[in-house]
Amino acid sequence: MRIAKDMELYEKLAILSDAAKYDVACTSSGVDRNGDGTGMGNCRKAGICHSFSSDGRCISLLKILFTNECVFDCRYCINRRSNDIRRASFTPEEVCRLTMEFYRRNYIEGLFLSSGVLKSPDYTMELLYATLLKLRTEYRFQGYIHVKAIPGASPELIRRIGFLADRMSVNLELPTEEGLRKLAPHKSRKTILTPMRLVQNGREEERGELAVYRGAGEKRPRFVPAGQSTQMIIGATPETDYQIMAVAEALYQKFDLKRVFYSAFVPVTEDENLPALSEKGPPLLREHRLYQADWLIRYYHFQVSELLDEAHPNFNVLLDPKCDWALRHLEEFPVEIGKADYRTLLRVPGIGCKSAGRIVKARRLGPLDFGDLKKMGVVLKRALYFITCNGKMMYPVRMEEDYILRNLLDAGERLPDSVRNMGYRQLSLFDDQNYPAPGFTGVS
Amino acid sequence: MKRVFVCQDNVTGIFSALYDAWLECRKTGEAGVAVRGFLEQKLFCDYVESMPSAKKAAAVERMILKNLGETAARELYYAALSRDGEKGEAILGAMLAARKLRDSRRIMEQLQEPHVARVFELSRNVKNETHSFLEFIRFRELESRILLARIRPKNQVLSCIAPHFADRLPLENWMILDETWHMAAVHEKQKQWVLVRDVPDFPGGQLKFSAQEEEMTRLWQGFCRSIAIEERRNEKLQRTHLPLWYREHMVEFFPA
Repeated sequence: MRIAKDMELYEKLAILSDAAKYDVACTSSGVDRNGDGTGMGNCRKAGICHSFSSDGRCISLLKILFTNECVFDCRYCINRRSNDIRRASFTPEEVCRLTMEFYRRNYIEGLFLSSGVLKSPDYTMELLYATLLKLRTEYRFQGYIHVKAIPGASPELIRRIGFLADRMSVNLELPTEEGLRKLAPHKSRKTILTPMRLVQNGREEERGELAVYRGAGEKRPRFVPAGQSTQMIIGATPETDYQIMAVAEALYQKFDLKRVFYSAFVPVTEDENLPALSEKGPPLLREHRLYQADWLIRYYHFQVSELLDEAHPNFNVLLDPKCDWALRHLEEFPVEIGKADYRTLLRVPGIGCKSAGRIVKARRLGPLDFGDLKKMGVVLKRALYFITCNGKMMYPVRMEEDYILRNLLDAGERLPDSVRNMGYRQLSLFDDQNYPAPGFTGVS
Repeated sequence: MKRVFVCQDNVTGIFSALYDAWLECRKTGEAGVAVRGFLEQKLFCDYVESMPSAKKAAAVERMILKNLGETAARELYYAALSRDGEKGEAILGAMLAARKLRDSRRIMEQLQEPHVARVFELSRNVKNETHSFLEFIRFRELESRILLARIRPKNQVLSCIAPHFADRLPLENWMILDETWHMAAVHEKQKQWVLVRDVPDFPGGQLKFSAQEEEMTRLWQGFCRSIAIEERRNEKLQRTHLPLWYREHMVEFFPA
């Protein structure tokens, strides 16, 4: 192992941001908080991105590891102890200075602090705690802080650090116990889910106590106000989309998670247990479909069992999950814009939460036509097969699956560049991404 | 003949013209508002200069707040900041349409009304640009420790941006310079921020940055490089989220 002493800050930042970049759980959303005038920083519920890197992902937080030294040996991880790479560690002072100086220039929305496991989970967690305490009390930083709970750390430490952070996360990494055993021998379901449960319980306890405090008019620190999140690696192990989404749904329901993130597996180390580097690169389309489905579950009142099942365990490559669902349930369409309730509107492809809300309000004040819908943000090229305005469809449409599918695809159904640029070579995706061959005919 | 009130392109000017037009409407049944610089003269209209006055503007603002409510007031205000030349007509049209509703506070929900739809569109555009600048503004530290940011927005978003930073950086001296509309937001440590109009063009090349500024720029540029995943490279996606025209003053895109 190489440990450089007295490394320049620039180099440390390069190493420790590079080591953190595969963690995707880095939004700055979930909490609204004004500054109190004594320091620096505030938070906005919607979250604020500050830049976009050349891979098109947003840069919102200063995403770094405290150290990339690690006693664990997870096969997929670049920082695994058996991997011979350059190692570095920040001091708490350095992390604070970087955060403050970047923040006041409006480079970042806050700090995302994770870490390799140095000596032991508790030792590492103490270091993270010391850093955050310094940042919050000495530097009076009031911006967003996301901190990782290290699997295996003691409950007391997690509780203490939760009062300094806005969001906490523990990465599930692999959706099944079997996957963990194979690829992350030092982690288990238990060490991951225990801290998750602790954070959840902490938040619930607080909700009970808050009313009492409010009455007394006191200001008190809040425990993980922006909630917790987790990440799963996609494509390193053979789970189906159905298995992954079922785990995500359970996490939302049973652990009250704010977000589940999906990270297309990028092979950074070679291991006989891992899929090899492929020419096609990471499974980005699959990741995209999982996020689309994740939104359907969180905001559109869908259940995983409606989107996928044992017989149909993976998402359609060519269609987003909502279109795919709608095509398989044509008996529920078309819906009348003037009458359908909010939840029914949400299920129409091309209508989102905002446009559904606008439709419901506007139709009380007068009839709507297709032109009005367009102005409200409805994507007509997708919605037109599934709706009527004042009893009429936009064009004469045959309510047949093949016909609508063909038209949707001809209208340039949005496919990520990774797929579109491949042209119809994309069909090779079916071979190894365990996507089923699409169940339709007649597409040229 | 329809009288059209011509006004200056700022909120006070537009609201003053709305005041005049509103009175005219009550008298003759029709009136218009046009913003100077965007005037397209029509044959059967009488063009009158509207005198900007804080008093008239405040009266309109009160009337909007009282009759249309806070949400609608905010939408109309944002629309008035738009770069669009027909904003005056759209706002006046929406206000007139509100009179026909049983509950005039619902006016911004009536998106099938063309003027309302237009106000909605303009306001959304201003709000989106405001949000983009909350994200992409970059402050640079001068030798005097003052933080300076320069922007070139399409709409007049400065007054929407400044409160955010006043809350965020209360202990800093900072200034945001709007080079499109020649305005500046100036914030002195622990004081209210102020809006300065008619700011002269920026004198290029004379700025002295602090010693630390260069180090931070370098660190940030390094971070933006190392945080990207090469296997996922996608510059088109990057441009979708962060169009090139925002990048003029963003240090991470400065040539090395």
